[in-house]
Amino acid sequence: MSKKIAVYGSYEAKFPAKQRFWKKRKDGIRQRYWKKTKRTKKAVESGRYEFHGKGRELYKAVIKAHRYMPKGFVDVSAEKFLEHPERYGLEGEWIEREVES
Amino acid sequence: MNILKGTVWKASGLKEKWNHNSILGITDTETVKLDFDNTPLKTVKYWASRTCRWFKLGGFIVLKSSENHYHVVFDSRVSWSENVSIMAWVCLLFYGKILAKLPLLRYFIMQCIKQSSTLRVSPKKDKLCPRVVFCNGKQEKQIHEFLSFRKLIKDIIRKMLKEKCLFD
Repeated sequence: MSKKIAVYGSYEAKFPAKQRFWKKRKDGIRQRYWKKTKRTKKAVESGRYEFHGKGRELYKAVIKAHRYMPKGFVDVSAEKFLEHPERYGLEGEWIEREVES
Repeated sequence: MNILKGTVWKASGLKEKWNHNSILGITDTETVKLDFDNTPLKTVKYWASRTCRWFKLGGFIVLKSSENHYHVVFDSRVSWSENVSIMAWVCLLFYGKILAKLPLLRYFIMQCIKQSSTLRVSPKKDKLCPRVVFCNGKQEKQIHEFLSFRKLIKDIIRKMLKEKCLFD
């Protein structure tokens, strides 16, 4: 396995807010559902990118990773990430917080 | 960098303040890496050389991450299962019966979950980049690879510090 660059930490980003609603089922039970709304809410999450690839691409990917925050644990080649960064992350910013390697 | 009988007396590295909140590190499965937090150098050297001898890992380097915080990288290439068993061995012997709320244990568990081990390369808050403070034994395999990849990351950090106006 080749070595990878890990970019990790805690970040603040705008996540799409979900709204709950209830619907009565045929059997009479009130079931709870969630729907996506256009609203967004700020939340603090922790995430991690693991990039592999060539030097120049890695550099560009690390720079991009400062704008797009990872959606959880993202293991991707730097080249693919540079093509579609919005697929792997959402816009936000890294914040200072204690994290484990 | 002067190396005399294993101890590195003078190390040069990045001195500028890192003004980003993200952390850069090296991650792989085949290099044995350990993170000793709140442990004096003497203890770190003892555990590194004991592990190195027991598992025949060739050699090791100790990097100072901050005051009383050290990283250790071993030279031999190992499989992930061997890597985990080595980390677990050190962890168990290091702490004996008191295993809860301890940094090395926390590090070990995290790496087991991720199935690869990571060590920090970039500065973090008020901590500097980890730098080499001790060398022992062979350095030509995984240590050589680790150090060359670390150089690549440091180059990226340098470039980012130069072009920090991009982020401001």
